Amino acid sequence: MKPFLVFVAAALAALLPTSPAQDLVAIRAGKVWTISSGLLENAVILVKDGRIEAVGADLEVPWNATVVDARDKVVMPAWILAHSTAGLGGGNNERMQNVPFLTVADGLDPSSLAIEEGRRNGVGVANVMPGNQTLVAGRGLIARYVGRTVEEMTLRERSGLKLSFAAGQGNVIAQIREMRRVLDDAAALKKDLERKREEWQKAKDAGAIKDEEFKEEPDETKKPLVDLIEGKLVGWLYVPGSAELAEVARLKEKYALKLVLILGPRCYKAAEQVKALGYPVVLDENALEFRETDPETGDEKIVSPAKVFADAGIEFAISLGDDGRGPERHPWWQLATMVRSGIDRETALRSLTSVPAKILGLDAELGTIQAGRAANLQVLTGDPFQATSWVDTVMIDGEIVYERSKDQRLKLLFGENEGNK
Amino acid sequence: MTWGFTMTCSFTMTCRSALALVPVLAGLVATAPAQDTITVLRGARVLIGTGQAIENGVVTMAGGKIVAVGDAKLEVPGGAVIVDCAGKVITPGLVDASTTLGIAGDVNEQGDEITAAVSVLDALDPRDKGLARALRAGVTTVQVNPGNKNVIGGLGAVVKTFGESAERMLVREDSGLRLTMGAEPSGGNRASRGGTPASIYYRRPTTRMGVVWETRQAFYRAIAYQEQKTIPGAPPPPVDADLEVLLRALRGELIVRTTARAEQDIRTAIRLANEFGYKTVLDESTEAWSVLDAIVAANVPVLLAAPSRGIAGDGAEVRWATARLLAQRGVPFAICSGADAGALDLGREAMFAVRFGLDPSIALRSVTSEAARLLAVEDRVGSLSAGLDADVVLWSGDPFDPTSSVVSVWVGGRRVVP
Repeated sequence: MKPFLVFVAAALAALLPTSPAQDLVAIRAGKVWTISSGLLENAVILVKDGRIEAVGADLEVPWNATVVDARDKVVMPAWILAHSTAGLGGGNNERMQNVPFLTVADGLDPSSLAIEEGRRNGVGVANVMPGNQTLVAGRGLIARYVGRTVEEMTLRERSGLKLSFAAGQGNVIAQIREMRRVLDDAAALKKDLERKREEWQKAKDAGAIKDEEFKEEPDETKKPLVDLIEGKLVGWLYVPGSAELAEVARLKEKYALKLVLILGPRCYKAAEQVKALGYPVVLDENALEFRETDPETGDEKIVSPAKVFADAGIEFAISLGDDGRGPERHPWWQLATMVRSGIDRETALRSLTSVPAKILGLDAELGTIQAGRAANLQVLTGDPFQATSWVDTVMIDGEIVYERSKDQRLKLLFGENEGNK
Repeated sequence: MTWGFTMTCSFTMTCRSALALVPVLAGLVATAPAQDTITVLRGARVLIGTGQAIENGVVTMAGGKIVAVGDAKLEVPGGAVIVDCAGKVITPGLVDASTTLGIAGDVNEQGDEITAAVSVLDALDPRDKGLARALRAGVTTVQVNPGNKNVIGGLGAVVKTFGESAERMLVREDSGLRLTMGAEPSGGNRASRGGTPASIYYRRPTTRMGVVWETRQAFYRAIAYQEQKTIPGAPPPPVDADLEVLLRALRGELIVRTTARAEQDIRTAIRLANEFGYKTVLDESTEAWSVLDAIVAANVPVLLAAPSRGIAGDGAEVRWATARLLAQRGVPFAICSGADAGALDLGREAMFAVRFGLDPSIALRSVTSEAARLLAVEDRVGSLSAGLDADVVLWSGDPFDPTSSVVSVWVGGRRVVP
C-alpha cells in the first residue's frame, strides 16, 4: 500500500505544475552549496514535511523517499531578496510623499510576470517593498514566491516601513527637511499620546474614570510612523549617496530609529560612515558596479561599491533588477559581478542567502542548507556564477514550485519550435 | 553644368586619394612608436577568432601587425618585449558590426528623409565616451552608422575605437548605406493639417507604407537620373550627391544595410533589395527567427543586435534562440550592439547568445572574424593571423565567463588599455 501511495504521489508530482509537499524527499546532489558549512560533493539532502531533515555525503536514502536526481547538478538555498519591488508592476512609487498607511499587500500581484521570472531565477522569498521614489512610502511584506493570493504568499506581514531620500530628484536639502518634519510630527504625536496616557492614569487613580485601560491610539494613517519612532517597526531607508548618509547619523542619534539601509551606488565613498552606523545594509541593484564619470575631466571609470563595502568589513545583502530588462535581473550576473570585482564566492553567495535571512529575522528558518531549516532549495544545472547555468527546480517549504521542463513561457521565449520551420 | 561636373570629379578624386593615403598614414602613425619593438604575448590560451584555440600560445606583434601566432614552440625573437599571459585568454580585438558610437551630437540628420550622402566620418569624435567604453571592453573595430530616424540615413564607416583623428581611425570608408524600414523613420512625424508645414515635425512619411514609398521613390529618382545622364547629346543633369550614392548602391559598389526589426519589415527589406537589385545586409533583425526561410532563400547576412535585451524596438518580439537558429540554418550573422542604449559590452552580448544555446566558438566568431568578413575588413582585423593589424585583447579568463574581465587591449600593436 505504502509504496503504491508513494508511486501515486510521484506520478502526481510529475503531472501537476506545483505538487503538494511530499512526505519524504531525497535530493541526490552533485554539489551542495550549504552556505553554513561550505561546498559538499555528492551529498544527499533529506526533506521531510517541508523541512530539511538531514544533509550529508554519506546519508542513506530511505526506501520510501521520492528521489530527485540532481547528481550532475548543483543544489543551493533558494535566493532570498532583502529588498525587492517585484510583483508591484509599474505602480510601486506613490506620488504623494507621506503615505505610511499604504501597504504592498494591496498592490502585490501573485500572478505577475516578475514573480514568475523570480521563480525562474531561483528566488524563494522576497521582502517586497514600495519603490525608492516616495519619502515615506508604506509598509512591505515578506512574500514566498508561491501562491495564488497575497495571503498564500505572505510569510510575514509588516516587514517594515519604507523610507527614501531619493524622492527629491536630487534636491538633498529639501528631502532632509521633509524627512525631519515628518519624523518630528510623529515624535510630537507620540509625546501627545504619552501626555494623554498620563492624564488618563491620574484621572483613573483619582477615581474619575472607570475604563479598564487606556484606549486612545494614533490615527491609522499615522500609526506606522509612531511605531517607527517607538522602535516597534523597522524603517527601510533608501540612501542614494554619501551626501544623505550624514543625515542618517543624525536620525540615529535623535530618534534611535531601527533602520535597514538600502544603499545606492554613490554611497561607497562613505563606507566607513556606513560601518560606524552599524545598521544592516542592502545594496541596490545597481550598487554592485557602476560607471562613474569624473565631473572635472569627464573620464569614466568602473567603480565596485560592493567590493569597497566588503573590504571595509561590512556585511551586505544585494538586490536584483526588478524592471525585467537589464542583466541585473539575473542572480548569476549579480554574483559574477561581485566576483569580478574581487569579492570571494562565499561572500557573494551569502548576500543572496544567509545575510538577507538575517536582516529579515528569518535566519533560524532560511538561508542555509542545514537540518531543521525550511526546505527552500533550488537545483541549478551548473555553477551559480556562470551564464550557462539555468535553474532546473525550485522548492519552497518542500513544495516544488518551478520545474524548467514544464516552463511553457520559457519555451516560448526561447523560440525552440521556430527552428523546425 | 561644367561647374557641377568638375565638382563631382574633384570630389571623387579627393575621396580616392584620401582613401589611398589613409592606410599609409595609419601604418606610419600607429606603428611609429612600436616600429622597432617586437612584443610577444606568451602563455595564454589563444582563441584565434576563426574557431581555433591554442593552449599555452604565443602571439608576436611588430610594426603594428601580427607577425606570428603559434604554440609554445614558436620561436621568440631576440630583444622582444615579453608579456607573461599565463592563466589568461587572448582573443582578437572584437568587431562590433553595427553601432552609432562616436558621432558627435545627434545621430539623426533631420534635414530630409533621404540623406544618402551624409557620412558619419564628418562627425566622428575620436574622444567619444562610447568609443572609449567599447575599447575598454575589448572592442577595437566598429562600424559606425547614422541613426535610424531617416528612411535613407547615409553612409557608415568602419573605424578603430582608438586613434587621434577620424583619418587615423578609419579602416573602411563608405562601408554601408543605411536604410531603415518599419516605424522608426516615421515615428514622431505628423501629417500637416492645414496651413504650411513649417517644421520637421510635419515631415512625411507617417506610416510603414510611407517609408517603403519614400525608398522606392528615391531609387526611381536615381534610375531616372542615370538615364538622363546617358541620353546622347543631351546636357547632363545637375549633380545630385544623394542620387550619386544611390547609384553606387544600384551598381553593387556599396552595400545597403537595411534596419528591419519586425517580420513584415524584414520581408520588405528583402523584397526591395530584389526589386532594385542592390546587395543588402539585414540590420537589427529581432524577428529573424520568424522569417528564417525567407532569409535563407534570399541569402542575406543578419546583424543581430543585443541578445541580452528582453525587449526590442518597434514592437518586434524577442526570441532567445535567434542567434542559435541563424547558426543552425547557416545564415551568416554577426552579434552587434545596435541602437539600443541598454546594450551591454559586446563580449557580454555574445555571452548571452551562448547562454541561449549558441556554440561558444561560433559566438566568438560572430564578434570577431565573421563580423569583420561581413564588413569586408577581414584583411585588416577580426582574427589573430600574421599580417593583420595587431589588435589584441587579453582577458583574465574565458571571454564568455561573466566573472572574467578585460585586462589589456592592444590596437595596432600599441597597448592602449590600461
